[in-house]
Amino acid sequence: MPELPDLNPVVHGKLRLALLTLLAGVDEAEFTWLREKTGATDGNLGAQLMKLEEAGYVSVEKKFVQRKPQSLYRITDAGRAALTEYVRALKELLGSAI
Amino acid sequence: MGANAKDVELTERLNLIEAMIAEGRRKCESWGWTFVLWGVAYYVAFSWAAWGHFAYAWPVTVVAAALLTVVGFWRQGNRPGTTLGRAVASTWWAMGISMFVLFDALGFSGHLTDPRISLAAASAMLGTANAACSMMLKWKAEFACALVWWAATVAASFGSVDTAVGAFLVAIFLCQIVFGIYAMVLEARRRRVRGAAHA
Repeated sequence: MPELPDLNPVVHGKLRLALLTLLAGVDEAEFTWLREKTGATDGNLGAQLMKLEEAGYVSVEKKFVQRKPQSLYRITDAGRAALTEYVRALKELLGSAI
Repeated sequence: MGANAKDVELTERLNLIEAMIAEGRRKCESWGWTFVLWGVAYYVAFSWAAWGHFAYAWPVTVVAAALLTVVGFWRQGNRPGTTLGRAVASTWWAMGISMFVLFDALGFSGHLTDPRISLAAASAMLGTANAACSMMLKWKAEFACALVWWAATVAASFGSVDTAVGAFLVAIFLCQIVFGIYAMVLEARRRRVRGAAHA
């Protein structure tokens, strides 16, 4: 029997799960804010955000504010649905353990 | 992976979700300084008006405090907005604009004759904003402030002018200065706890 059969592997990664949860609670968030909240390095954070973007779970808007580059991330409807489904599956798997 | 180890890992994921939800909400709580700023602004306006410059003491002080509030929030940096944060901020901005429009209109029309009416109205509006935010944030201390403001409304309606002014000044001290400092202490304590957790 495979382990964790019902959990979405894209959402299950610790940093990706943290990022989706953070983004689910706000309208949009800058890269620097996400880095501050998760304590991740720039490289790891960028890579995990890229995976979430490729899965269609987050969208990114890149722009310049006062000549400085700014990346604004938002959770998409698909991302919100995936997170909701992940939490439901997690609770179902844990069952009476929680 | 054993069943127990799997449960522990999954429980860690749930804890992580809860921790991140708390992190996201924490950004909404840096407002204590605005209460202190506006408390001081009310005292400045009262003192200035008492020196005989009533016509422009309040408009100038209120506009200056509003500008300082905007600059203060702008300096707080790249904090993303939430629905709850927008709801709370909207309540205060709407109340502030209502007060500005009402008292300027009454003042310039010459109908601001009895200070007890303006103090009762201002206290009631401040009580409404505090009560609305306390219910949104489930914060009993802020609801206590609403009760103090409503008490000041009653005192201004039934008492003499001196009673109305005294009640308003006491309410400013308790609900703006004391409550604002209390909120700032709570915010500083939360920042320290978060700093220790990240260390």
